[in-house]
Amino acid sequence: MTMLRIRNLGVRFGGVVALQDVSLDLNRGEILGLIGPNGAGKTTLFNCISGVIAPNEGTIHFEGRSLRFAPPHERARRGIARTFQNLQLWGSMTVLENLELPIDAIARRNTLSDALGLPFSQYAERAASERARGILHALDLGRHAHRLAADLPAGIQRRVELGRALAMRPKLLLLDEPAAGLDASETEHLAKLLHRVRERFRVSMLLVDHDMSLVMRVCDYIYVLDFGRVLSRGEPSAVRNDQKVIAAYLGEATPETAGEGAEAVVVTAEPRVQRADAVEVARSTGPLLEVKGMAAGYGHLEVIRDINLTVQAGEVVACIGANGAGKTTTLRAISGVIRPRAGRVTFGGADITGSRPEHISRMGLAHVPEGRGLFPRLSVEDTLRLATDSAGTPDRLAAAFEVFPRLKQRRRQAVGTLSGGEQQMVAMARALLTQPRLLMIDEMSQGLAPTIVRQLFQMIDVFREQGTAVLLVEQFVESALAVADRAYIFEHGSIAHEAPAEELRRDRGLISGSYLGSAPDSTEAIEVAANGNGHHRVVDPQLMEILSMRVPAEVKRALEERAEREGRSAGALALELLEEVNHN
Amino acid sequence: MMPGHIVRFAIAIVAFSILARLPVGLDPAFQFDAALAIVWGFGILSLVLLTGYAGQVSLCQATFAGVAAYGAGMTVAGMHGGYLLGIVIGVLAATVLGVIVGLPALRLHGITLAIVTLGIALVFDKYVFQDHIFDWFTGGTGGWQVTQASLLGIPVDSSTHLLNAYDVMLALFCVVAVLMVNLHQSGAGRRFRAIRDSELAASTMGVNLTRYKLLAFAISAGIAGLGGSFYPLIAGSVSPQPFWVFTSLQLAAIGVLMGVRYVPAAALGGLFMAVVPDVLTRYGHGTFMNRFNYDISYDWFQLAVGVLLVLQLILLPDGVWGDIRARASRAWDVVRMKPREEMRPA
Repeated sequence: MTMLRIRNLGVRFGGVVALQDVSLDLNRGEILGLIGPNGAGKTTLFNCISGVIAPNEGTIHFEGRSLRFAPPHERARRGIARTFQNLQLWGSMTVLENLELPIDAIARRNTLSDALGLPFSQYAERAASERARGILHALDLGRHAHRLAADLPAGIQRRVELGRALAMRPKLLLLDEPAAGLDASETEHLAKLLHRVRERFRVSMLLVDHDMSLVMRVCDYIYVLDFGRVLSRGEPSAVRNDQKVIAAYLGEATPETAGEGAEAVVVTAEPRVQRADAVEVARSTGPLLEVKGMAAGYGHLEVIRDINLTVQAGEVVACIGANGAGKTTTLRAISGVIRPRAGRVTFGGADITGSRPEHISRMGLAHVPEGRGLFPRLSVEDTLRLATDSAGTPDRLAAAFEVFPRLKQRRRQAVGTLSGGEQQMVAMARALLTQPRLLMIDEMSQGLAPTIVRQLFQMIDVFREQGTAVLLVEQFVESALAVADRAYIFEHGSIAHEAPAEELRRDRGLISGSYLGSAPDSTEAIEVAANGNGHHRVVDPQLMEILSMRVPAEVKRALEERAEREGRSAGALALELLEEVNHN
Repeated sequence: MMPGHIVRFAIAIVAFSILARLPVGLDPAFQFDAALAIVWGFGILSLVLLTGYAGQVSLCQATFAGVAAYGAGMTVAGMHGGYLLGIVIGVLAATVLGVIVGLPALRLHGITLAIVTLGIALVFDKYVFQDHIFDWFTGGTGGWQVTQASLLGIPVDSSTHLLNAYDVMLALFCVVAVLMVNLHQSGAGRRFRAIRDSELAASTMGVNLTRYKLLAFAISAGIAGLGGSFYPLIAGSVSPQPFWVFTSLQLAAIGVLMGVRYVPAAALGGLFMAVVPDVLTRYGHGTFMNRFNYDISYDWFQLAVGVLLVLQLILLPDGVWGDIRARASRAWDVVRMKPREEMRPA
């Protein structure tokens, strides 16, 4: 029976289309996965279902009744519970209280009798407390019951959020990135937990997560969202091998399919040769940016550790890796938005570890943050003027408008009313006007349509020609590698790999693994491949495409050692071994 | 009854019996200060619920008290009703105004809400309490004179029976304080606190935001009004001056200074707000060592509040009572020889 029926849902924020024509069915007792790149509209869909935002069009029915006029608390009472991507626990309350609240919020308790402490309230109070303790026990959180929720580490907070949602006795549980920030073993634990929860509490679930290993293992059926539309749907095995899905995660795979993008690639090919000399010259004078052994984090959470990274003058470097791998935190620690906890950052020979961000930006290190950091009510022209004024550089708006002709037409318009792509152009133009020596751009293409993304990547070549070094954090790996000279692959808060972009482009297995995770049985396949002893096991070669970097360390080491002996790349070796296995 | 309720009730009775003796034998001016302390104590108590529990900002608590004071004065002096009726009408008027002020709070947060409530305080100060159109409510320039009054047969007017009024107010204050602590520890209190910590999570976990925000404003205005409705009784008349904008700001400042999340802070704050300026104006001038003349007036009090607030925000972010509480709990842990909880590395 269909429990949740969504038809033709559409959401627009100003000019940005967040969801378009999304239809989805969830059956009772099912765990449905919802995946897609950043900005695909997954959280927006969650917000629509839980009533936090109202859709512009389309309908949502829950158990046959429309949710159109139901406010969030009413939906909660009907049995829809959710967790949040950015944790939303009640931090000044204890863990126990966090779980008691939804229990008695549903029970419609009376404020006056609560204040007077009447028997009815006393009874309800005890019942709520007992039930909350039961859930805490089931989730192995019993010993944290009397601690303030804000004092717990993020991993445990996520579990408390899950417990809080369960305390409502939900029929449908919306889980927004429950595995964010968890390591591989914790994720495995979570997967088991979700299955146990389904059996014990009899709830259906809608699960959003970037960790494919979790989604593939837990979900019965998967919807893939991209740019606010349903890109694909099906059983996990089918989705995993869907070329469209792989492309959505990695960007366009080949220049042929990229259309316009092909030109961009061709254009970049030539200057790179010239650049090589410039980089060579710069190398002799030392790197422009050098990060040594850096660690940083937020609160109790250490997000990155032991980061070593260099950028030469005039070089384009990409940082790639799954969500939550620590790329954004690295940029923030470099530009001084947060303080590094360990390590050293030198820029142009000067030590800038822990300097204030405005000081760092005056030295010529510009940071275009994720979400762009624009002022929505300021006009385009004022935004750009502000940058030149505070940086003390000459007023070169004309030059900026030459690079971004579209901004010239809109110079008087408020930035907040521009489209997402135009806003990104403003952010980049602003950074450019301060005449930086190094430009750090975080998630430039997030939530933008492919054509705009292509134009933006062409801009990076323009920067390079002007002699500006670029450090790029990007979800569109293919496009980023097409434009970059070198790349760092981030995994679980540290740098797992560093290689020239060319090499990584050839060796797709290496990257796709860090994004899509491994299928549960692929580790065995790699083991077989690495040992080269050829059991008679047929493995889908496409599986190899998305082979994981998260294989057991000893397997990976074996693979790498053999690759080094034979002087080839690990990915190519793995593919060849696999074919051998197949052949036998 | 749960043990918690019995303990709170016992503490309230002990507090009442101690506090009721405090002003006995003092000169009338200090007795008036003691009664006034409870009026402002109610004002800060109303902020404990609204700001401390529910996380809403309001800079018009003195306006609620003023509306109730005029309501009570009008009922007693203008319509010759009993004082009990006066209190009921005063509290009702304040509660209704509280709901009206709560309506913008459904959409507004933080600084915008603060400015809206400040605006309401200004409007009531200038155009209701001091305007001739509302003479029927404010009793004109002279205000309402309350010379003789009794509550349930007890004479409580200011001239001769001020201490009776003080005892009645103190008893009421203790009752409301206990109810507030009960509320904090119960389901309804958790809902208010959930709104403070995360409205998004509260609404998606089944808390009706509209209902509980309005409820917080209504109860809070009612509590402030309960204090205000006694003002004509203790002062003998009502005038706009005690309920002007600055009193609202002072209530908020002293509430934060004392620890806006804790009920006992309301008693501390009320006492501070009523007694310290009076002491300053009375003993603040004279000659030091027969040579240096000094003159400390009421203005110094406002300066002192400002300075103390800055110091508190730096040194005691949880307020004076919050700090006392934390120290007491640490001391208690030492007494019980309980090992200190390990600090996790940040």
